[in-house]
Amino acid sequence: MQKYDAIVIGAGHNGLVTAAYLAKARKKVLVLERRQLIGGIAATEEVFPGFKYSSCAHLAGSFSNDIIGDLNLKKHGLEILPLEPLLFSPALDGNSLLVPREPAKIAEEIGRFSRADAAKFDRFSALLKKLGSFLRSLNDLSIPDAASPESFNLSELIKLGWKFHRLGKKAAYEFLRILPMSASDLLNEWFENDLLKASIGATGVLSSFVGPRAQGTSFVLLHHQLGESTGALRAAGFVRGGIGNLPQAIARAAQQHGAEIRTEVKVTKVVIKNGVATGVILQNGDEIAATVVVSNADTKRTFFQLVEPTYLDPRFLLQVKNIRSRGTVAKVNFALAALPKFKCAPDHASSANLGGVIHIGPTLDYLERAADDTKYGRFSKQPFLEITIPSVADPSVAPAGKHVMSVWTQYAPYHLKGNNWDAQRDVLGDTVINLIEDYAPGFKNSILHYQLLTPMDLEQSFSLTEGHIYHAEVALDQMFFMRPVAGWARYRTPIQNLYLCGSGTHPGGGVSGLPGHYAAKEILRSWPREK
Amino acid sequence: MNGKYDAIVIGGGHNGLTNAAYLAKAGKKVLVLERRHLVGGAAVTEELYPGFKYSVCSYVVSLLRPEVIRELELPNYDLEIIPLDSTFTPMPDGNYLVRWGDHAKTRREIARHSITDAEAYEQYGQLMVQMAMAIKPLLGIVPPRPISWNPRDLFGLAWVGNHFHDLGEKLFYEMTKLMTMSSADFLDGWFETDALKATMSASGIIGTFMGPRSPGTAYVLLHHYMGELDGAFRSWGFARGGMGTISRVIADAARHFGAEIRTQASVDQVLVKNGRAYGVVLDSGEEIRARVIVSGVDPKRTFLKMVDSQHLPSEFVEQARKFKIRGSSAKVNLALDGLPNFTCLPGEGAHLSGAISISPSIDYIERAYDDAKYGDFSRRPYLDTVIPSRLDPSMAPLGKHVMSIFVQYAPYHLNNGTWPERREEFGDNVIETLSEYAPNLKDIILHRQVITPWDLEQEFGLTEGNIFQGELTLDQLFFLRPIPGWAKYRTPIKNLYMCGACTHPGGGVMAASGRLAALEILKAWKMRRV
Repeated sequence: MQKYDAIVIGAGHNGLVTAAYLAKARKKVLVLERRQLIGGIAATEEVFPGFKYSSCAHLAGSFSNDIIGDLNLKKHGLEILPLEPLLFSPALDGNSLLVPREPAKIAEEIGRFSRADAAKFDRFSALLKKLGSFLRSLNDLSIPDAASPESFNLSELIKLGWKFHRLGKKAAYEFLRILPMSASDLLNEWFENDLLKASIGATGVLSSFVGPRAQGTSFVLLHHQLGESTGALRAAGFVRGGIGNLPQAIARAAQQHGAEIRTEVKVTKVVIKNGVATGVILQNGDEIAATVVVSNADTKRTFFQLVEPTYLDPRFLLQVKNIRSRGTVAKVNFALAALPKFKCAPDHASSANLGGVIHIGPTLDYLERAADDTKYGRFSKQPFLEITIPSVADPSVAPAGKHVMSVWTQYAPYHLKGNNWDAQRDVLGDTVINLIEDYAPGFKNSILHYQLLTPMDLEQSFSLTEGHIYHAEVALDQMFFMRPVAGWARYRTPIQNLYLCGSGTHPGGGVSGLPGHYAAKEILRSWPREK
Repeated sequence: MNGKYDAIVIGGGHNGLTNAAYLAKAGKKVLVLERRHLVGGAAVTEELYPGFKYSVCSYVVSLLRPEVIRELELPNYDLEIIPLDSTFTPMPDGNYLVRWGDHAKTRREIARHSITDAEAYEQYGQLMVQMAMAIKPLLGIVPPRPISWNPRDLFGLAWVGNHFHDLGEKLFYEMTKLMTMSSADFLDGWFETDALKATMSASGIIGTFMGPRSPGTAYVLLHHYMGELDGAFRSWGFARGGMGTISRVIADAARHFGAEIRTQASVDQVLVKNGRAYGVVLDSGEEIRARVIVSGVDPKRTFLKMVDSQHLPSEFVEQARKFKIRGSSAKVNLALDGLPNFTCLPGEGAHLSGAISISPSIDYIERAYDDAKYGDFSRRPYLDTVIPSRLDPSMAPLGKHVMSIFVQYAPYHLNNGTWPERREEFGDNVIETLSEYAPNLKDIILHRQVITPWDLEQEFGLTEGNIFQGELTLDQLFFLRPIPGWAKYRTPIKNLYMCGACTHPGGGVMAASGRLAALEILKAWKMRRV
């Protein structure tokens, strides 16, 4: 039986990154993907002929530049486009907020709503950028944990302490203060305009189970700004040709270094002998051996489906069971005959203004009310939407003159009280369509096709437990040394030679590739010695 | 009367009184100035209806620092705390849940609802005690500055770091979870019985502008678990004679050490010259000088009203403005001609001698919170009720009773109407809610006092009616409380200090702030920094 150095279960973008780095380090790697298509949630699918839907994720602006460089992804066809404008937030009364890319023009636009806000925006952005940069350093640290006590690195801690001091007293205190704050409190401290606050505040709750008044949402806001960002607003980006080109590029890099990728192959179990992972078993019964097994699947799926529970300490299993991974988003992908015409002032009516993030949700309280519904097991009667129209910046994804529109709707909880998603699917679809129609009359008539992915669909299509696109909620108690569970933050698991590399690990979800990268580092660092 | 004092304490709340007592004990000539006709702040007993004594605001005690009791020799002054032995949660379906001081009894009761919960309760209790013991030392220290090269601060930080390191891995992770999770999520990891979880999580939202599902409420679970009544960690109790007894006793101690206390003396301004505080001016215009001024009132009142902003760095004033102090609590005090009869557990049983919690489910409390978020008082509020006269007959005439109802949520800012306009409507709603469980209540009410957040502000000097002089959110705790960089009871003005609950370690009737502030002041005095 052929033996590999490493098997990666799942060709999500993180799994592919891990595979590429391992292959680059001359390991013989095999990636096994259940679907026909690689990429996991970063997938482009032509569900409706001629229209390339970003099925799940639609922006890749947070993808690590380090990885792009290390794996030479540009050479392998990756091109990430900047967002222009950064943000378009329409209001029902027609007065919309349009934040351009050019820094000098931003103050002017915000000033239309509030002079005070315009005066503060630069400082706010700069502060967030500074704090974000520190957070990135924090993320880069080797997380100490019980599984690898020898990894505790005093020098890194000292370096971090130094960086903290270098922030300067004011920024350092702001970091400590802002980290646990609610996005509402933070934004209300700085700004008065509702639309501005709601648009920025939305990134504090993406894929969260809480609303913007919840403590810790400022951290989530910072987390979402860790990629290309002005500090307060994301600045990139669509992947030319569709987001699926990102995993494709990573796959090419991996293959160039000798990795093997097989699709339409389902792994049913990790083979474990004497507490050590030795390979995997496929659905067809085949067994493939490997020195190391890496799971890109989420933590619950890994330990409740891929591993026999008898090998695991019940307390560890309880910790895994208690991971909060309640999906709260649904995706709607549209094929449109024409661009939506948002009710807005003539100078904002140009189609070029739809090339960035379009936020629908006029006030922080609107977001908060949308979150309330989810607490009681309902989807939001008035959801907020994060919309992009990739075909504006990248016409290659739709036929000439027509468009694809990608809509995240929140909140749509995986668990519905007294109801189920099959029954509610159409109600949700109608809610979203009617909402967009309110803001852009005529929208309905332009729909050629649409695809709705409820949290159940997300779970089934992309193997995401409870439909959570980050594998586990990004909340303060589930990050850093607590992710995926306390004590196991370094990609290792209680099963020797079994590792995790997905978004459910540090530093969390979003299309960054960092979990995959750090996992590869850890795997190489602790590569088992040959007997 | 106008001889120069060593120190003036603004506000005769329990922290101000404690502060004065410690300074006086160290030989300083101290004057306490209290606006109201009696000292105690929010820890007072008042006989508003003849024969019936109300613990007007705070109604139970648990966190009163043992070192304060010991160092001020409080037992000499007649302080007796009677433990609350139970928490009774009536449920709308006719069932109920009672938790007793007796663990075995509680286990049996919980087992009625869920056997797994009964087993988990034991372990949960042990864990909470361990964590309370771990956090306890932090209540007794002055927060070190996190960004400082000062050896004292570095040592302080090292001590804190080491302290957490010594917790051991398991406790450290549990602590991290406790500091960041919501009480509902935290409790979901342990229990299944909704009424149990709701009653336990209720302590996590008291005085806050958060719901049981809000991250950061699990921490407050611990805050309320840290009591130290007669060595029995976590027991809550009444002071015999009402909460006012505690303040009276501290005031007696202060006087015994030589402090002077004046009531009906309202401070209008702190006098500052060349960046140094040197006295106060009363409403009456009277000027009183002292070497050191200590404010026992909240930072908004202190820095935005009593100190002229020209004396303060503009950034500091800005931060004082940003300090979150939104009140969310109210109180209804009743004089009763008898006892309430609860449909689900009729009769005058032992359950009426403890706390009665209207918290049938997490969703119930969460909905109550939702109402407040959008500017209205809870249509169906969370109520924490006690009948002190059951255990302390001195509070009411024979056969009659006083009932203390703590209400959550009552947001200071209402979207419709004002608190004075809606006070009675609010009171009616509280009675209505409780009557759903004890229908005879309306028939036995002799007198009613309703204290809204507006009343807390007007009468008791608590800005926006926040009972903790500032929200207990993670961004306003420890070295960030009350103002980042100013967590050591000092202010940008020399010789002006802070000693109220707005400083570490926060709110509750602890007297910790008053004491720590006094120790810092005495230290500075010794080092001639005063």
